[in-house]
Amino acid sequence: MTVASNVKQCLASLKGIESQLSSLALNSLDQSAKEAFHDSMLTIGKIKKDLQYRVLELERLEPQYRG
Amino acid sequence: MNGFVEIILRSFLFIGLLFLTTKLVGKKQISQLTFFEYVSGITIGSIAGEAITGLEKNYLHGAAAVVLFGIVTILVDYLSLKSKYFRDVVEGKGTVLIKDGKILEENLKKERFTIDELSTLLREKNIFKVADVEFAILEPRGKVTALLKKENRPITPKDLQMKMANEKEPNTVIMDGNIIEEGLRASGKNRAWLYTELEKLSVTLDNVFFGQVDSFGEITVDIYDDKIQVPAPTQRPLLMASLKKAQADLEIFSLSTDCEKSKEMYKENAAIMQGLIDKLEPYLNG
Repeated sequence: MTVASNVKQCLASLKGIESQLSSLALNSLDQSAKEAFHDSMLTIGKIKKDLQYRVLELERLEPQYRG
Repeated sequence: MNGFVEIILRSFLFIGLLFLTTKLVGKKQISQLTFFEYVSGITIGSIAGEAITGLEKNYLHGAAAVVLFGIVTILVDYLSLKSKYFRDVVEGKGTVLIKDGKILEENLKKERFTIDELSTLLREKNIFKVADVEFAILEPRGKVTALLKKENRPITPKDLQMKMANEKEPNTVIMDGNIIEEGLRASGKNRAWLYTELEKLSVTLDNVFFGQVDSFGEITVDIYDDKIQVPAPTQRPLLMASLKKAQADLEIFSLSTDCEKSKEMYKENAAIMQGLIDKLEPYLNG
């Protein structure tokens, strides 16, 4: 396992979390729960962006792990 | 023999009449909150019984009395809604028996209550020590309601300053293997969603005896075959676990990277993630 693949794995699980939060926000009936899930989804989206940027950086540094 | 036939006929007539009267008077009569409702309920019953079996009397007299009692009850209910004074007279007021933790002896005497009777009624509410009670009132219907002192009340999440997610009432969507459209609509779902969820649980609609959707949109079902285990919904606890794992990953990255800029970025995001976990905790556990 390399650093790049670890970060990619984390990125993938963040994507999963984001989609689950989205579905919970849509399925919940309580307004405050809906808001909490939706806000969290947006925050996760920001973290995801940071990680995506880092993945690109890593790929540039270690081109053999591109993919 | 003639008597038998007449009793049967009268019974049917009064069953219909009582059904109509109680429907008109409504649920309030059943709860018998006030003295008046209590008395009129008993009286209507005994008039009906008397009129059915009292063959020597004209049954229409009894029917008239039942109808009259019904009308007067509705009238009293209506007037009580309109006037506070009328309400106080007809429905009566509660009598305070314990105030500020002290028994009010004059009020006990006024209601002709002995201390034994008061403590029996308190014991029925699992209160064995009068000193634990802050305030108790004798309701118009003769029940005692008591407010315990704050330190004797059951502990609630609010006392512990815990944040709890608000939960809406669950909606019943499946009963006896049939879809309940009303519940499905109330929970904001449709048939396609229901079939997908059932497929996820690998059960068919015909096998489900009872199914409910909670306020997070998770479905729980009871199936006819009690030997088969249906998985409990685990989406939210699993999501919590993966949130925690992602947070830990970010921390590890921040420790293991040499690049200062990335270190900072990982650290920041790990902190944001921790904040998220704290915020979602009440919604995701249980």
